[in-house]
Amino acid sequence: MTTRRTLLDLAVRAAALPGAAEFFNVWLHAAQAHHSSAPPEPPLLRSYKPRFFSSEDFAALQAFTGILIPTDETPGAREAHCAHYIDFVLDSSTGYAPEMQNQWRAAMAALKQTGFHAAGKAGQEKLVAEMSRPERENGATHPAYAAYRLIKQQNTFAFYTSRAGMIETLDYRGNSYNETFPACTHPEHQVVD
Amino acid sequence: MELSKAGMKVLMLEAGSAVNPAKDFRHTFLYQMDYRGLGKPGLLRRYSGAERNYRIMLDNEENPYTTAPGTNYHWLRSRVLGGRVLHWSRATDRMADYEFKAASRDGWGMDWAVTYADMKPYYDRVESFIGVSASRDGFPQFPDGPFLPPMPLNCAESIFQAAAKSLSWPVTHRRLAQLTRMHNNRPPCHYCGNCINGCDVGAMFNTVAVTLPPALKTGNLEVRTDSVVARVRMNAENRAQGVTYIERYTQKSVDVDAKYVILAGSTLENTRLMLLSAKGGLANSSGALGRYMMDQVSGGGVSGFLPKLKGGPSRLDDGKSAGITIPNFQNIDKKTERKDFIRGYVMNATGGQTEYPYFASSLPGYGSEWKKEVKSRYVAQARVWIAGAEMLARKENFVELDPEVKDHWGIPVLKIHFTHHDNDRKLIADFQEKAETLFRKAGGEILGAPESGGGTRRRHVLGGSIHEVGTARMSANPRDGVLNSFCRTHDIPNLYVFGGNAFPSTGDKHPTLTMMALAARGCDRLLEQAKGNRV
Repeated sequence: MTTRRTLLDLAVRAAALPGAAEFFNVWLHAAQAHHSSAPPEPPLLRSYKPRFFSSEDFAALQAFTGILIPTDETPGAREAHCAHYIDFVLDSSTGYAPEMQNQWRAAMAALKQTGFHAAGKAGQEKLVAEMSRPERENGATHPAYAAYRLIKQQNTFAFYTSRAGMIETLDYRGNSYNETFPACTHPEHQVVD
Repeated sequence: MELSKAGMKVLMLEAGSAVNPAKDFRHTFLYQMDYRGLGKPGLLRRYSGAERNYRIMLDNEENPYTTAPGTNYHWLRSRVLGGRVLHWSRATDRMADYEFKAASRDGWGMDWAVTYADMKPYYDRVESFIGVSASRDGFPQFPDGPFLPPMPLNCAESIFQAAAKSLSWPVTHRRLAQLTRMHNNRPPCHYCGNCINGCDVGAMFNTVAVTLPPALKTGNLEVRTDSVVARVRMNAENRAQGVTYIERYTQKSVDVDAKYVILAGSTLENTRLMLLSAKGGLANSSGALGRYMMDQVSGGGVSGFLPKLKGGPSRLDDGKSAGITIPNFQNIDKKTERKDFIRGYVMNATGGQTEYPYFASSLPGYGSEWKKEVKSRYVAQARVWIAGAEMLARKENFVELDPEVKDHWGIPVLKIHFTHHDNDRKLIADFQEKAETLFRKAGGEILGAPESGGGTRRRHVLGGSIHEVGTARMSANPRDGVLNSFCRTHDIPNLYVFGGNAFPSTGDKHPTLTMMALAARGCDRLLEQAKGNRV
């Protein structure tokens, strides 16, 4: 990542090159604005009140997403407001994507059928383990497997596109200003076995 | 730029709006957007592109097109000053004589009316001006140019390079119109990886940042944006008199006259204008206008992981949005001739960290162990994809005006007739086999999606790439094509067509550099004509 020293070096070089100042001014301005770190997450989801799901369904979704992506040494679905994001997208799709809304209603109904909504923490964890079996075991089936997959897909997207998932968990380095590209210098990568 | 710098007064009409890269293009993280880059549900049915870049794409409701029964073709378009070079992949490869003269070798289609020797000075000129970062490797099928230093390879690319070498395949860095050092007063790439959303500093070639500023500086160029050209007007002497355009927002019709008319509004839009401008099409004595539509064949590919990289540290792997290239090595001469198909393809490979871990939801499991596994594999992602495979030119692939559908301005739209030849499918099947060979040689592990039954291969869906060419092919003989070798129409001496229209075949290289070189060559001829007052 570009440091203040390299930015100053670039500014000196820019001044010495006729015609380059305009472009470099843009470059430097943007680089100074971005070089420190990824910006904070906007407040949208922090204050968001669920509008699509009933309070009962939302509580179940929040519990489910938290089991799929728990908080451990890095943030989880709860810190990333994954359930809020899913509700926000579904509510926004009113009038545009009724099929998506119906798919989620069916998924939550299937989940309720399993007893997930009413179960305690241990019971919910056991139910998720059962629902996810077809993912790992050939021939295994579960009536709520489609609901599990739908929630997992959207939860995964919501989490890894959040700051908590992208930056704080995966340590994504892109979308930044850099003076050079880090070349591979590993001898073991220059040959194949 | 060439014309205005030579002293010609030029009026440029652009159907879309103007953009200012320094102000309009930003580094935006997915989490900074309400819909994480996908846009509000339903709206992306209307706009091409995604939440970050839809403004430099196109409104599909204003600009419809239709397809014939049996046609599966997705036409990706852009209507904005600068057009598709604002968000292109920057691949800048020269075509070679085995492509220009392919018909003489295998009997399919028609040779180009230019050779590599004709094109080389213009490839040199374009590359010198725009700046191309690449490695000079001396592959005859992948001609070198006056390159800037190549972009360094990341770890996954190094592994793929080693794998390709061990298979005795040619391999090089992807050749990109993206600066690795200061060039023509433009700053180098800052490796943000955001190229397809528009470059904020002009480090990647695009006309708004690179060719328009010097052209405007001459004082000879006037740009009118939001001006939708509806037709070319002719005079009684079989000359193009000028064009009629419609002001995008007022719907007012405006006529402008010119000594020369150049159509350069993208391949199929150029052809649409020629079809709109005369019964049976303008400059169509050959009957080839609209015919021989092609688009490089794409599909297939392999994605997965390189175990050597699992669990490694985060690195800026996608900061250059690049990779390695494996030039075509089949059907380039007698020695490499294949019995089962003609022509060939170029492969690319890259890997490492990406903005979003697309594999994650396909990875079985959940919980903390799953999170750790996602992170471990995140830096070890890898993929092999097809850069371009040659699609055979066939007369039955064509565009025409749809008699029933009009755009927002009441202008008839194109109807596309487009199917694939068995040779196209054979090329993709061969690519798939080679891609998997490369992946295995690199030690790669392939992950399939649970929904697809855990399959290891991507689907071979053929149906449109983003390299549409043809529909007004060049020919030495006016009976065989619409344009001459300088992209001037055979029939109308002051009408030029720049874009991919002239291509008699797709070749296996990305087409943009060749389009630019043909335009530079055409401009030279136009200036010669103007000096000699031959028109």
